[in-house]
Amino acid sequence: MFSSFSSFYEKARNKEIVAGLTLISIAVILNLVFGYFAMFFAFYLSFFKWDYIGEMQFVGLQNFEIVIRDLIRGLHGAPYLLVPFYTGLKNILLYTLIVVPIQTFLAIVLASFANQKIRGQQFFKVSYFLPATTSSVIVALIFIWLFMKNGYINYVLAHVIPGFEPVDWINNKDYLLFAIATVAIWGTSGHFMVSFLAAMQAIPREIYEAAMLDGAGPIRRFFFITIPMLRPMITYVVVMGLIGALQMFDLAWIMAGANGGPGGAGYTVALDIYNEAFTRIRPGVAAAKSWFLFAIIFTTTYLFQKKYGRAMR
Amino acid sequence: MKKVLAGGLLIFVLLLAVVAAGCIGGGEQTGTQTPATVTETKVKTETKVETQVQEKVFVRFAGWSAGETEMKNYEKMIKAFEEQNPNIGIKYEVITQMFHENILASYGAGVAPDVFYVDSAWAPIFIDKGALYPISDLADQSFIDQFYPFLLEPFMKDGKLYGLPKDWSMLALFYNKKLFEQAGLTRPPETWEELEEYAKIIADKTGKPGLAIYLGGFNRYVPVAVSNGAPKPWFEKPEDASWFDNPVVRETLTWYIDLYRKGKTERENQGLTPYVVQPSDVGAGWLGDAFGQQEVGMVISGNWMIPFLADQFPDFKYGEDWDIAPVPAGKEGRVTMVYTVILGINAKTEHPQEAWKFVEFLLGPEGQKELVVKGGQTLPSIKGFENDPDMWPQHKKTLSFKYDQMIVFLWGPKSGPLEGKFSDAMAAAMRGEMSVDEAIEVMKQVVQEELSS
Repeated sequence: MFSSFSSFYEKARNKEIVAGLTLISIAVILNLVFGYFAMFFAFYLSFFKWDYIGEMQFVGLQNFEIVIRDLIRGLHGAPYLLVPFYTGLKNILLYTLIVVPIQTFLAIVLASFANQKIRGQQFFKVSYFLPATTSSVIVALIFIWLFMKNGYINYVLAHVIPGFEPVDWINNKDYLLFAIATVAIWGTSGHFMVSFLAAMQAIPREIYEAAMLDGAGPIRRFFFITIPMLRPMITYVVVMGLIGALQMFDLAWIMAGANGGPGGAGYTVALDIYNEAFTRIRPGVAAAKSWFLFAIIFTTTYLFQKKYGRAMR
Repeated sequence: MKKVLAGGLLIFVLLLAVVAAGCIGGGEQTGTQTPATVTETKVKTETKVETQVQEKVFVRFAGWSAGETEMKNYEKMIKAFEEQNPNIGIKYEVITQMFHENILASYGAGVAPDVFYVDSAWAPIFIDKGALYPISDLADQSFIDQFYPFLLEPFMKDGKLYGLPKDWSMLALFYNKKLFEQAGLTRPPETWEELEEYAKIIADKTGKPGLAIYLGGFNRYVPVAVSNGAPKPWFEKPEDASWFDNPVVRETLTWYIDLYRKGKTERENQGLTPYVVQPSDVGAGWLGDAFGQQEVGMVISGNWMIPFLADQFPDFKYGEDWDIAPVPAGKEGRVTMVYTVILGINAKTEHPQEAWKFVEFLLGPEGQKELVVKGGQTLPSIKGFENDPDMWPQHKKTLSFKYDQMIVFLWGPKSGPLEGKFSDAMAAAMRGEMSVDEAIEVMKQVVQEELSS
């Protein structure tokens, strides 16, 4: 096998292309099989009714109809247990609106701290980045413990704010989504900080020096130089954040449970797709919902890219 | 340049096509094999058949794990079985997470195991879709007759039996004797009303909640309804939603939901110790944990709690510190819930006889003695062990209780999803997010939607 390949390689007129294609082939094949094939199969599946065990039945657009009816009933105010997809969508949009701006802003702030020439900044960099390297399941479990009614967060708040009544963050439908969002912000800000740090270190020193000569203070330098120069990176981080937030599954799964916890407050579209495929045994509907989610993610990121994705002129 | 690129792309597309054909076709060929290797293996197997007459048959057996000891016991039994049957090999696969989802997915991919666990709530899905091999075609009637009949009933369809229970558990009342003494109570509660009354007395006298229940938990509420005269819940067609219109159901459901509303929310608003809590209210993961930490006076839970308490809370002793009583009675008698797991044989298995031999070995008297009775996890599913010296005294005690009805955890073909949604609606009502009537309305709609296809 290898000898025949090496002789083929020796004879090839354009060695670079052969070598290049060979080297990327593994990644490309994996991507084709587990990425694109899965996508096409999901598309195929969304037109069928199937229970994994028997034969697939072609049902046309019926699966999509189920999803759309779910959305319409949700808009008419049906109770959350009857409109899971609508509930998941409503929650995940709110969650994204909370998480993406805060985590992006926080990542920039952390990066500017880490960019200072102060002693121990290496330690800060490591401690900010640590959450990004920790399994989200473990992070969620730790935060459940912190958010408990007799947990540490209530303990601190009760000591800081006089007359503070302990809140049951995880078991209260008004706070659950915010608790999950807090964990997500804490876990991802450090990850995006690294991107911003790299972008900041690429900003030429001369610009800052010129600004300092003109008498701009550190705050003004940050808002009028750093932020505009980071614009392409901000776009990238927001797009990645959107993709991640709209597909959120793991934190909700651990913190709210498979059914979304109290009042369905922690229910997400990804959880609903999972439940559709494995508890209601309707993989066709699950595939249709996946395509809906894909369409939502694609359009939001595309619009965002189109509006803000151009580099500064 | 372009040609080479096109050639490379062509190769990928071809590979993709082969893989896709393998996956969609669901044939014998696994996805990653190229045709060349397939022919090679074919040649190999042909020569094998010529030289070897005695072919060893392999049976794949999948289960979840109830802990290290259980797995070791199974491995021991498998070894013994292989020694007795040298021509059968068993491949034991432990799936720790999301067991039934995994099994369904393996059916979808055409690689399901030959023998596997099926929880009673999931059984109808597998039986209706024809995924299980009828056991009654393989087993002698005399073997089947050893089992408790009420455990077999849910797994019958059109006169055929599709699985045999590997073990079972039932609900019982676990109560903390020390807290009872402190509260001046001398015996466990006999009726549902007494249960609530005692819970209140314990909370007032000891400062600890008297009863822990799950928020929601439809299957824990069913004994209350049926013991007060409601029929057993069964949902097969949309019209069956009328079960919730029964006045007894409305009354008992209101009582059950109010347990938490009055026992927890109202009491806390009055500044008193709650007499009903859910496990997380006392910082516990589940009922067994709350009871073992001695944070609550009573819980209604199943036999699985017994080995957990012995293992995790060795200082909290059965007989001295805590005891077991039957589930409280209603106006129409005493009812308990039964939970069981069957061993099913894959309908598409190539070796039904060998698979059956293995199931028979595990579920027969010797197998159950080793795996269930000595293991002390749950109750054996065949009769005759009631007075076995190896049986743990706690389990023996649960077996001695007399019930008018034992309901197997099964509400018809869609048990799993229905149980989940009913429990969500009940939990919402317990938290005060909706009224009992609204919760009942939601449950009825859930039944109508899940069953109208």
